[in-house]
Amino acid sequence: MTGQPVEPTGGWTGFQAVNGDEPVAGATATDLISILDTVEVPIVVLRRDFTIAGFNKAAADVLRLSPSDIGRASRTISVFAGLPRLEEQCSQVIASGVESRTDLRDGDRSFVIRISPYAKGDRQVTGTVLTFTNVTAFRASIDQVIYERECTKAILNAVADPVVVLSADQRIHSGNRAFYTMFFELASLRTRLNGMLAGTRAFQPVEVDHDFPGEGRRTLLLHARPLSMPGHPERRVLVTFEDITARKQAEAANDLRAIAERKDGLRRSEAFLAEAQRLSLTGSFSWRVSTDEITWSEQLYRIFEFDPSMPVTLELIGTRVHPEDTLLLQDMIERARGTGTDFEYEHRLRMPDGSIKYLHMVAHGTRDEDGRLEYIGAVQDVTARRLSEQALGKAQSELAHVARVTALSTLTASIAHEVNQPLSGIITNASTCLRMLAADPPDVDGARETARRTIRDGNRASDVIKRVRALFTKKEWATESVDLNEATREVVALLLSELQRNRVMLQSELAHDLPAVTGDRVQLQQVVLNLLRNASDAMVDVHDRPRHLLISTEREDGDHVRLSVRDNGVGVDPQDIDKLLDAFYTTKSDGMGIGLSVSRSIVERHHGLLWAEPNDGPGVTFSISIPTDPESGTS
Amino acid sequence: MMPRRSLVSVVDDDESVRESLPDLLRQFGFAAEAFSSAEEFLASDVVGETRCLLLDIAMPGMSGPDLQQELTRRRQAIPIVFITAYGEASVLPRLLARGAAQCLVKPFSEAALLDAVSAALK
Repeated sequence: MTGQPVEPTGGWTGFQAVNGDEPVAGATATDLISILDTVEVPIVVLRRDFTIAGFNKAAADVLRLSPSDIGRASRTISVFAGLPRLEEQCSQVIASGVESRTDLRDGDRSFVIRISPYAKGDRQVTGTVLTFTNVTAFRASIDQVIYERECTKAILNAVADPVVVLSADQRIHSGNRAFYTMFFELASLRTRLNGMLAGTRAFQPVEVDHDFPGEGRRTLLLHARPLSMPGHPERRVLVTFEDITARKQAEAANDLRAIAERKDGLRRSEAFLAEAQRLSLTGSFSWRVSTDEITWSEQLYRIFEFDPSMPVTLELIGTRVHPEDTLLLQDMIERARGTGTDFEYEHRLRMPDGSIKYLHMVAHGTRDEDGRLEYIGAVQDVTARRLSEQALGKAQSELAHVARVTALSTLTASIAHEVNQPLSGIITNASTCLRMLAADPPDVDGARETARRTIRDGNRASDVIKRVRALFTKKEWATESVDLNEATREVVALLLSELQRNRVMLQSELAHDLPAVTGDRVQLQQVVLNLLRNASDAMVDVHDRPRHLLISTEREDGDHVRLSVRDNGVGVDPQDIDKLLDAFYTTKSDGMGIGLSVSRSIVERHHGLLWAEPNDGPGVTFSISIPTDPESGTS
Repeated sequence: MMPRRSLVSVVDDDESVRESLPDLLRQFGFAAEAFSSAEEFLASDVVGETRCLLLDIAMPGMSGPDLQQELTRRRQAIPIVFITAYGEASVLPRLLARGAAQCLVKPFSEAALLDAVSAALK
């Protein structure tokens, strides 16, 4: 305990003292001490009584121990002043034989001290070995980390928007103050977050509306960014919440204004539409064919006089349809189900008070993406128009009759006047002539002159007759190339409303590759018109079935084109069929016979034929066959 | 010496009547003059001499009834036999009521003509 320096500067002399009765064998002890002195970790050995038994070189250097310290009570050594519980801890280690640790702060240095029991061989513990691990740099880096973390926390807490870091299993790892004050359910985001955490997709910012107690409803824009460090197994997500409530409100205010304007516009146009429907007596409907789901506009309810709360069904409509039109309606519905093409037809309603309404319907077929058929259509109440048309038609036919009669009598008077003038001259001249010849002596020259005048007046009368005939003979025979389909379509267009008025369903089957014929377009159209009218008239008394009229064209062998008009009317006795075409033969009171005979003469002028055949079922088919135009090119 | 023959004037726009009727009237023993219009007759110097007027109803310009009225206005009481190619039965009573002697519908027989003219001259 002289304090003399030991070379090297260890304090191992004390070891002998500890184990005084059993000194370490000289060479072995020296080796051990040399090894211990090379260890950079300070090692100090305390005896049971906590006096210093020895230390290595590192302890001398680092803890500023000197050989004179051996044998001193550890509590008197300045470096141990920072360990008030050292003696207690050493006692525990000695008693238990289990090592323990303790921290030591010495100025700006930090150590972790391991206290291990000191035993010699299998003997009892006679002291403790303290090893000092310098953790100053480590502690400093931890402090730095803590400091940085605190700084980050402070910054994050200063951010007004909530920020949260989630672990891979979406537990909240950490959040800033704003987040915790704004806690809300993240469930709606889980799927998205999962996708992002799994690395399968990027996270798109998402808007979330949430009610916050005391704050009301806020709109937040969530952004999420993965947080990962190379080599670090854990994946976290930084979720930020941007409060865009104010921005959204400003946008919403604009949107609301726009919506209000649109709504206003919509309301106005709806009002216009309703008013237009009311004024035009036109209702609109939609009919989903597969489900028979029918929607009506208000006006259509008014037209049918149904309560607007009643669901519309085909059966309900059927209760209003005029009994005579029921078959027509059924037929129309069946056709509509099949084809999906646009259709248009007229039918009547019989209202509960017995009054009749005439409706005109136009429907447009559409198909949705699944191919289901739906009709959108309009129904107009044309009762007033029909009634006035009927009245007009009646007036017209009466007028036409009057006009015909008037024209005939005027014509007769005119012809009579024109013919009577020369007749009068003839008679007078002939009388004069006879008298001149009977005179004594006969006035032969005078008689010759009057006879000459008689002949002249006779020629004059003949000229009058020629003029009258010329007046009633059609001017000229126009020859042109005629597309019979086109000509037929024009006639059908003319006649359509009349056919519908007569509740005739007209079907056209016009051949696509029909060659042209040569002739007079207008005259051929008169033939078609005549055949259609006759067919329609033949079905007037048909009430037990739909009145079907089929007009078809086809190309025949031998360069002919055939046009047929088939009705399902009352038909004609087979023996009368030939007579049908004779002039003045008619089965009707208003004289169709002349029309047919004129038609036949027109067809014959076209080098064609007109004939009639009874159908297998009810009705007759009239056909014309006309040679094709040799220059039409399709032959 | 034959008594002076009565003058029968014919007013008609139809040429064949103007040619044929005077010849026949002359065969009957009347004097005859023909005029193509009412205006031509009124302008002639035979108005006062005319004992009977064969007058067409429908003519361009002044019609037969117009001439009848004009003569009445001029106090020329000439018996008138109307001739017409139209069978206007409805106007006949009116014309007769105004003093027409007779009305002949063309074509008429020579007997009907002679009867009508003779009756007018009585």
